[in-house]
Amino acid sequence: MSAGPPPFSFAGGAARVVFAFIALLCANQAVLAVNFPGLTGRIVDQANIIPAETRSAIEPKLADLEAKSGIQLVVASVSSLGGEEIEPYANELFRTWKLGENTKNNGVLLLVAPNERKVRIEVGYGLEGTLTDALSTVIITNAIAPRFKAGDFGGGVSRGVDDIITVLTTDASEWQQRPSLRLDDHQTTDPLTWLLIAGLIALVTLLIVSPGFRWFFLNVVLNVLLNSGRGGFSSGRLPGGGGFSGGGGSSGGGGASGRW
Amino acid sequence: MPNVISRTCFALTIIGLSLALPSCGYNTIPTLQEQAKARWSDVQNQYQRRADLIPNLVSTVQGYAAQEKNVLTAVVEARAKATQVKIDASDLTDPDKLKQFQDAQNQLSGALGRLLAVSENYPDLKSNQNFLALQSQLEGTENRIAVARRDYIDAVRAFNTALRTFPTVIWAKTAFSGEKPMAEFTATTGAETPPQVKF
Repeated sequence: MSAGPPPFSFAGGAARVVFAFIALLCANQAVLAVNFPGLTGRIVDQANIIPAETRSAIEPKLADLEAKSGIQLVVASVSSLGGEEIEPYANELFRTWKLGENTKNNGVLLLVAPNERKVRIEVGYGLEGTLTDALSTVIITNAIAPRFKAGDFGGGVSRGVDDIITVLTTDASEWQQRPSLRLDDHQTTDPLTWLLIAGLIALVTLLIVSPGFRWFFLNVVLNVLLNSGRGGFSSGRLPGGGGFSGGGGSSGGGGASGRW
Repeated sequence: MPNVISRTCFALTIIGLSLALPSCGYNTIPTLQEQAKARWSDVQNQYQRRADLIPNLVSTVQGYAAQEKNVLTAVVEARAKATQVKIDASDLTDPDKLKQFQDAQNQLSGALGRLLAVSENYPDLKSNQNFLALQSQLEGTENRIAVARRDYIDAVRAFNTALRTFPTVIWAKTAFSGEKPMAEFTATTGAETPPQVKF
């Protein structure tokens, strides 16, 4: 007994359409993203202006900030803005790196473009009420730009980071209005989800097709259920030796820029 | 065994159909439309935020440069006009309404630019703490407006594209035949860079 017309031709045609669509989606990446440096750590010094002592002084502070509050503060320097203004560049870079937690959007990017002599503090949606535009301007004008003007990039970055951390960690909740967090509403399906879907398809197919598998599956399930008393899952972060990646946050253009 | 093969085919077809139906775009069009509407309300929020900064700015400038009546009045009037033009989500398919909104906001941008330029002539005003804070807030808001507009344009493009590309075009012509493409902002020269404020 046959189960009707062979579905292979249908499956082939639909698969081709799906692949074409996926390819089209992938082709729509922002052009800027091609030139961005990778998020190799909390300090991304593409322009090579930050001296080693400053790096080793700042890095633990940035890690400490994230450990205590979840805020991802990243310092970056780029060799060229590629003709862009620093505002859209910083925003695109922030979004590419996805700084800050997904649900809280608490990332901050301190971007230095020595070639164009511009600096910007880009603030995630969730921190706009704490690290306001006015405060960012004050930090750039007083701490960062004068030192950059004198050629002291290490000092400027170091002092800027200290000031930013001070603003972020000082509890001023009594007199500051909490901003409305803009929660991104599009779902991102990561590879893990696709893997799970594929696994589920395989499982259901096998269950329908083979009675032998059904028997095997039931046995396995019963065993797992009976033995689930001992050895629970260990949840939590995987121990990443130096691994650092963005938490999925986004920014809406808050912060301030300056030049020297 | 032919039985296994045919049953596998059958199983895969059922599963494939049940996966393909939602992913073939029935949900896509309403989802993209709602996203575009949400991005539009972000844009409006940022414009409103700018409008809210203006009374404070005007009164601060008036304290030092009261004789610049023309410029100050122009800003106040432009602001009033800009806050009057309202667009809700249903107007987004009408490019004329969007242009009206955009023109009103551009007029306000122009008036603001003139006000800031005039403020350059008053050193006392320029060193006033309140004025400095307002300037940076204004700059920040202009930047946020630019970002919100870009996000809106991206969302509208995604929606308009879904209305026309396969396979969602099938749903567009049938279930969603009433949906029209949404209007985008028309690019104006100089609108991309926020007004530069020099200290």
